[in-house]
Amino acid sequence: MRAASPVYFSTPVASRIMVLALCVSVVCLLGLAGVALGSSGMPLNRVVSAILGMGERSDGIIIWSLRMPRLLMAGLSGVALALAGFILQRATRNELASPAVLGIVDGAALGVMCFLFMFSNESNALVVSIMWQPLAAALGGIFFASVVIILAVRTEAPPLRTILYGVALGALAKAGVTLFLVDGPVHRASQAAMWLAGSVYQARWADVEVMAMVLVILVPLTFLFSRRMDQLQLDEISAQASGLPVRSTQLMLFALAAFLTAAAVSFAGAIGFVGLMAPHVARLILPGRAGTQMLAAALVGGAMVMAADIVVRILFAPLEVPAGAVTAVIGAPYFLFILIRAGRVHA
Amino acid sequence: MHNDQRNEIELRSVTLGYPGKRVFSDLNLSIRPGRLTAFCGPNGCGKSTALRAMRALLPADAGLVLLRDTPITDLPVRALAREIAMLTQSPTAPGELSVEQLVTLGRYAHRRAFTSAAGSDRTAVTNALRETNLADMADRPIGTLSGGQLQRVWIAMVLAQASPVILLDEPTNHLDIAHALEVLALVRRLGAQEGKTVVVVLHDLNLAARFADDIVFFRGGEVAGSGPVEEVFRQELIQDVFGIECIVRQEEVSQRPFCVPIAACPGRRDRLVQD
Repeated sequence: MRAASPVYFSTPVASRIMVLALCVSVVCLLGLAGVALGSSGMPLNRVVSAILGMGERSDGIIIWSLRMPRLLMAGLSGVALALAGFILQRATRNELASPAVLGIVDGAALGVMCFLFMFSNESNALVVSIMWQPLAAALGGIFFASVVIILAVRTEAPPLRTILYGVALGALAKAGVTLFLVDGPVHRASQAAMWLAGSVYQARWADVEVMAMVLVILVPLTFLFSRRMDQLQLDEISAQASGLPVRSTQLMLFALAAFLTAAAVSFAGAIGFVGLMAPHVARLILPGRAGTQMLAAALVGGAMVMAADIVVRILFAPLEVPAGAVTAVIGAPYFLFILIRAGRVHA
Repeated sequence: MHNDQRNEIELRSVTLGYPGKRVFSDLNLSIRPGRLTAFCGPNGCGKSTALRAMRALLPADAGLVLLRDTPITDLPVRALAREIAMLTQSPTAPGELSVEQLVTLGRYAHRRAFTSAAGSDRTAVTNALRETNLADMADRPIGTLSGGQLQRVWIAMVLAQASPVILLDEPTNHLDIAHALEVLALVRRLGAQEGKTVVVVLHDLNLAARFADDIVFFRGGEVAGSGPVEEVFRQELIQDVFGIECIVRQEEVSQRPFCVPIAACPGRRDRLVQD
């Protein structure tokens, strides 16, 4: 038996590690570029010495208090969105699923708007800690996600119709957000509009810390579900017959995805399509088990948002264009492409 | 392996159906251990519905489904999966999965959390691949396989589940006759070797007569007849169940009965619909 084993079970571990290492190095390179590039470029030797705390004081301030939190927030929100997208695509067995498409992003945005308007005083200062904002986003996201899922389950909707439910519910949430914007004070509205488009330029260390804390809890939880997500590659009946409690697993996964999305949305805004594209890239470069594929998706997602933020800084400076604009410019046509392909397959 | 007097699976006055459509009102059925039982009947007669109820994939609205005298609803999902494996009618999985990866998914109910495949899992997967003649295709993506090969992979997955009971919902669907024979011979041989209880939904009466020990004939939400093939595979019953005119003969070599359909019989059909 042992003698025959290697033929079936020799997973190409080495090549998997290679691919992951490549992803890590891309993220590192983007990180370096992210702190080096900006309204004032900085040569790499100054960047490195500033990071190590040995450079000029002004370099240190630019890097540590301006560029670093922004870069980290971009990376972390990319990770969260990519994982959320990955979970949703596995849970629904639908390659079109993503946090934005299922209405979670808009739901989370509505949650944040409600939070901001309920807990602000006349001078627009928050009367409660900003720590609660991700929770408000999560509640909004989970609410809208659950409505979509309940509709889909009740009507036994095929993948494309589930997406339509998500789009419809997302539009509803968006309408709610618009009402809040119109009804609210002007300067808050412009701030919110910027945030809604998905930008990390205002990120502060306090935000990065909360975001990191949320991820420290959610990411290990996500990985605990990797075998169940593998099992969900089977159709629902086969998965259930193999011993997986399908419905409860799906519900827990939806909740996880909603929390991850909410965390990203509440700090970085609605950075679209990362949750759609990053899992696809991961599946392409690391086909197979959920565990390693998820790692790759997280790295790719982080890299995407970091890259998008670098692009807006270079191309549009001194204007602050939201990074979400770049991901949408690439992501929306890609979404159309797979929609058309999915339509052909189902026809 | 099991006490022969006991039924492996028993349905006691079970009411079954889907929202807005009742399929069975008072279904009584027992499956004998270590035998290959075929479910036969016209389309929409409830064969697959009964099979799903036996695997707790469709909850009974009333009555009891028993696995060796224990109600299956008392068993946790994973424990039940270790007892009863089921191949659904049209299973799907992403085409990029390798044969070995798919078959390993059959081990889910046996694997402990957060550990990689244990020795027993590897042994079960290796054996399942060998039994189904797939050993040299272990690394092929399933998207590149032919229909017959793919069906063997699904059967290997069900075998890897290593359960004493196996339910197969039309495993020969979409297969040409050579592959259908191959799949059923495999099921037959494995069942006999390991004393497994196998229930197969089969469209083809002659395949059922050739490979099954017992046959259950369903007709419009009722059991029209059940028992050993030689007792229930009779002309009158088959004519009645399917609404056809037919002749039943015995094949000389295998001593198995076979059925030659002559014509559809509208009169019988109408009576069926009125029922």
